[in-house]
Amino acid sequence: MLLCGCSSEAREVGPTVPQTAPIGEQDPRIAYYQDNFGQVAQGGRYFLYYGCAGCHGDGAQGARDLTDGRWKRGGGFAAVFTSIAHGHGDRAYATRIPVEPLWQLTAYARDLQRHMPEKRRRQALDQQAEPRGAAWWGPQ
Amino acid sequence: MRPEQTRLDRLSLTWRDPPGLWGFLTTVDHKRIAARYIVTALLLMFLAGMLALDMRWQLSTPENVRMGPQLYNESFSLHGSTMLFLVSVPVMEAMAFWLVPLMLGQRNMAFPRLGAFSYWLYLGGVLTLWISHALDITPDLGWFEYPPLSGPAYAPGHRADIWAQMITFTEVAALAASVNVAATILKMRPPGMTLARMPVFLWAMLVASIMTILSMPAIMLVTSMLIADRLVSTHFFSPAGGGDVLLFQHLFWFFGHPEVYIIFVPATGFVSAIVETFSRRPLFGHSVIVLAILSIGALAFGLWVHHMFAVGLPRLGNNFYTAASMAIALPAGLQIFCWIATIWSGRPWLATPMLWVIGFVTTFVIGGLSGVMTASAALDLQLTDSYFIVAHFHYVLVGGAMFPLFGAFCYWYPKATGRMMSERWGRIAFALIVGGFNLGFFPMHLLGLLGMPRRVYTYPAGMGWERLNQVATLGSVIAVAGGLVFVANALVCYWRGAPSGPDPWGGSTLEWAGEAPAPSWNLAYTPMVDSLTPMWNGAAPLRVADGVAIERREVLITSVTDADPLYRQKSASPSIWPLLSALAVSVMFIASIFTPWAIVVGAVPIGAALTGWFWPQRPRRNRG
Repeated sequence: MLLCGCSSEAREVGPTVPQTAPIGEQDPRIAYYQDNFGQVAQGGRYFLYYGCAGCHGDGAQGARDLTDGRWKRGGGFAAVFTSIAHGHGDRAYATRIPVEPLWQLTAYARDLQRHMPEKRRRQALDQQAEPRGAAWWGPQ
Repeated sequence: MRPEQTRLDRLSLTWRDPPGLWGFLTTVDHKRIAARYIVTALLLMFLAGMLALDMRWQLSTPENVRMGPQLYNESFSLHGSTMLFLVSVPVMEAMAFWLVPLMLGQRNMAFPRLGAFSYWLYLGGVLTLWISHALDITPDLGWFEYPPLSGPAYAPGHRADIWAQMITFTEVAALAASVNVAATILKMRPPGMTLARMPVFLWAMLVASIMTILSMPAIMLVTSMLIADRLVSTHFFSPAGGGDVLLFQHLFWFFGHPEVYIIFVPATGFVSAIVETFSRRPLFGHSVIVLAILSIGALAFGLWVHHMFAVGLPRLGNNFYTAASMAIALPAGLQIFCWIATIWSGRPWLATPMLWVIGFVTTFVIGGLSGVMTASAALDLQLTDSYFIVAHFHYVLVGGAMFPLFGAFCYWYPKATGRMMSERWGRIAFALIVGGFNLGFFPMHLLGLLGMPRRVYTYPAGMGWERLNQVATLGSVIAVAGGLVFVANALVCYWRGAPSGPDPWGGSTLEWAGEAPAPSWNLAYTPMVDSLTPMWNGAAPLRVADGVAIERREVLITSVTDADPLYRQKSASPSIWPLLSALAVSVMFIASIFTPWAIVVGAVPIGAALTGWFWPQRPRRNRG
């Protein structure tokens, strides 16, 4: 449990190594993103910035509801990653979003079912003034 | 008069602790508890000092890669939180724990078990912060963690919770200690020690304790609100949800500013005691110093907004707080003039405790002057969050509180250990620490004026900051080396120092009346006081009274103003319940980081432990 505590709290700020998409569900890099509070939270921020919350926010129905634990194209990390990057038709996130934010978005999307709705709303309140969707022009 | 040996033996039997580990865990001896507090705080001062040195190393050259931004954030957060919450305030309470009963000629504090509880809970706070650090869950948002940065959206994980809960630990411990100190000073003074005959040290500790009692609830409230925001999604600090982020800053600084004086006011008590003894005359302007301490205690609650001048509050409010902040220079200045007048008109003896007082006066005056500068709202807008502020608060906290503390350590060391510290090594440590400190921190004023912001992990070359940063690093290294000499001197002299006798300095107050090292029962008889300097009564022996039991733990309770004897009070014996209660509280505090249910479930063991603690012990408990 203690070791677990270490890695989930680890926080690295600064340039990271170049990333590629996950290679299968056993990719060793998955745990680094999925089990880390900081990476998941960063994914949550991109979730807002890239406009994901527009369709997948609170009250989304059916396949768009990411909090029910049911996944149309599989709930593994690589599967969710692929459906974010390549499963949104002409939105073409694979080309619009750099690879590391995609990892973070994937980790956040898979983590969402563990988030209480009131906590998501509370975080959204703090982030209300932040740019999102079309108003966001990428990292400055 | 020399008490008979049978009496001393009887007292030792009554007041002894159980032997071995059980005695260590159950003791309620105020001197043992205080020594633990002091040793823990000094160890933390060393660790946090090493963090400071590491940060100075990082800043000594531009674009240094010794630390990344995250490690630097963690380092200054841990340094500041440790120094403010786990070193400065507790070590002052510890000095009160150690000295107040001795200075009152009493056998123990008013609430002996509460003292033990206070230490164990403080230790819980220490372990919370530093074990988290070992597990890489170090708080990384500075020593005041403003929302929304520390709120649920921007501080994921548990780092901010660890910080907030560490504060809850230390504040409960501080409240327990302050209530104890205030009750002891008000109700347990020896016959004759009316309020007018109370030494300045006791006044200082009384005022600091009352300030603690009035200010600490604000910070416990605000950190609990922060945890509630993070854990159960309340909206205290969420403007979009109807909350207010400034509420956090107001409540934090309503505690945070008095805290500075909670640290400084005891230091004025140390200085007054040392100046009196080493000038070998009664303190000049005793009433003025006491009134100055009282007015500092009152004014300190009207200053907190000067930490928030850059926030954008109404101009008129800023003006008021500028005036109040400048006004506090008056009582502080009065005290300094009284000490100088005492030294001037006395026969000063420049032993190490007195050297520390001189180091204090010079350094603190510089810090006070930069304080008057930053008190101006207009100037503060330029200086805030720059290295000028770093320089200012280190000058007032280290110069104003730590130097007197080191002096007090040297002054009362013989009373605690029965041995003298080496004067030669004491002077070397003094020169290194005071010289190194000024060399290290004075350039920071200039760095701040040159525009270097605080809390930056590095800076580009060519800003003109390199040389001054290198000088600052050099000064810090010298000061830390001096600190090591000081500690080594204390450690070596603990075993090798020359025997001191009971009163090596010719002190003026009652703590010098008994044996050194002070026995568990302090004084054999109850002293009778008829002046401010009861130990300076010519060659006449100290007048004493008998009547307090020696075959059971008993203390004398007197009236608040005139110290007339009222009744004899049973004094609590050693007990394991304070430790168990502190453990139960610690479990609840830690668990409440993770789930709100911990507060409900955790209340059960706390209730059980407190029930055990307060289980009736009196003989007639079964018959009513």
